[in-house]
Amino acid sequence: MEAASTEPVISARNLGFKRGDRWIFRHLDLELRAGSFLALVGPSGVGKSTLLSCLCGFRTPDEGEVHIRLPGQSSTSPRDLRRYFGIVFQDLQLTAKADLLTNVLCGRLARFTCLRTLFGFPHTQRLEAYRLLCELGVGQNPHKWASQMSGGEQQRVAIARTLFQQPHLYFADEPVSSLDSYYAGRVLGLLRQETAKPPKAVICVLHNAEHINRFADLALSLNPNDPAGHKIRQIRSINMGAGI
Amino acid sequence: MSAPDPKSPLALPTRLPERPWYERLNLLNMTLLVFLLAVIFSGSQISGSDRDLNIFRNLGNFLQDFFPPDLSVLPQTGAALVETIKIAVLATFFAVLISMPVGLGAARTISPRWLVVITRMLMNLIRTIPSLIWAVIAVAAMGANAAAGVVALTFYSIGYLGKFFSEAFESVDLNVSRSLKGIGADSVQAFQFGIWPHAKPIIWSQSIWMLEYNIRSASIVGYVGAGGLGLQLHAYQEFHHWDRFATVLFCILLVVTLLDLLSERVRQRIARRLPSDFCHTD
Repeated sequence: MEAASTEPVISARNLGFKRGDRWIFRHLDLELRAGSFLALVGPSGVGKSTLLSCLCGFRTPDEGEVHIRLPGQSSTSPRDLRRYFGIVFQDLQLTAKADLLTNVLCGRLARFTCLRTLFGFPHTQRLEAYRLLCELGVGQNPHKWASQMSGGEQQRVAIARTLFQQPHLYFADEPVSSLDSYYAGRVLGLLRQETAKPPKAVICVLHNAEHINRFADLALSLNPNDPAGHKIRQIRSINMGAGI
Repeated sequence: MSAPDPKSPLALPTRLPERPWYERLNLLNMTLLVFLLAVIFSGSQISGSDRDLNIFRNLGNFLQDFFPPDLSVLPQTGAALVETIKIAVLATFFAVLISMPVGLGAARTISPRWLVVITRMLMNLIRTIPSLIWAVIAVAAMGANAAAGVVALTFYSIGYLGKFFSEAFESVDLNVSRSLKGIGADSVQAFQFGIWPHAKPIIWSQSIWMLEYNIRSASIVGYVGAGGLGLQLHAYQEFHHWDRFATVLFCILLVVTLLDLLSERVRQRIARRLPSDFCHTD
């Protein structure tokens, strides 16, 4: 496994977010380097998804700031850099009435002009997307609509789309919630591989303790009773990726 | 405080609570009342011509002239029927093409408010004018020919398809297209891959319905010179050739019924994949 780089990809300082008058989390400092796999853990409703959306720029924190440093990019604002993020949404956000192959291909829309994609993607891209679907066990019906597939299959398609995108940084909100243990391990294994070739950071909301211990380098747990009571646990010594 | 024991007869009410009269004044009952009042006031219109006519005998005499239908006009009727279908097909095609941008412009979730207001007003205006009046306008501008029928029905259909298409676009969850934009898709790509796949089946179902509707309309617009079967109907009516008129009517009936069945089957198959709001099952 490749060691983490020294320069942090994500740095959050004094991050805080409140819903109404109640703080969800406060005084959160985080530095994550490329090559690290960070698991966000905690009971349901504690604010893991909220923290994830603050880190990737979908929500503006009520205090503190997030900076993301990507090679060749001068801006450090998550909002400006969102196109370089691979995001697995909790509600998947697939195009339900498009086939599985098209859904995966959508991951690379940024690489082509609208004129190039107006009549479909190049054959090489289609083949590559199909291979990824096969790798995740959903290659039997690449031309079926996403809405015709089961929840677990749809989740694997959403993950395939994100992997196909080849982003600089991964944010995954419960990416294996609908998967059996075999495919959950497979998906997290693929995300784990992404931390190594070339090193990328992965931030993933996870619930399963076995998955956390097997795949994550670090686990950041939020405390439902104390917004500032978050803790980071180092699982692997090989990647000294984050500090809090 | 403990709840009363439901098994005890003392705890159960002995009287049904009365519903206050004002609770009956809901929108449904009020509109029903207004409609019934309107029917009573409109009754005075049915006074007839004050002539002592035997309506049923007149009707019988008129219908007698229809039989037997004169089948010698079948070749001309067949040709006019083909022309009618061609008018409807072309009008639907052009209307679908034009209604796409119009529908997008009228979709509240996609377009700016000023554009929505303008396109919706335009579509309302188009819909208030009946197809026959559109045909009169088109014939006045282009002369009495089938092209006028195509233009008339195209305009007429835009009023409906534009509205249907805008509703189809509005029904799409925009989160998918937003997330595609988030990962770098441009506006065209976000529409093509995030909105269009959801709207396409609805739009196609409604276009088939419009084609079916236009075939019926195309049979009529000829009455004012816009080509098709209507032209023939008008001529036979003018010269009181009711047996020939009957042949044309039967042909229209046959084609419209067949198309109705066919399009209903196709639309039903599409509708199985659509939310119920978008299924025209008439």
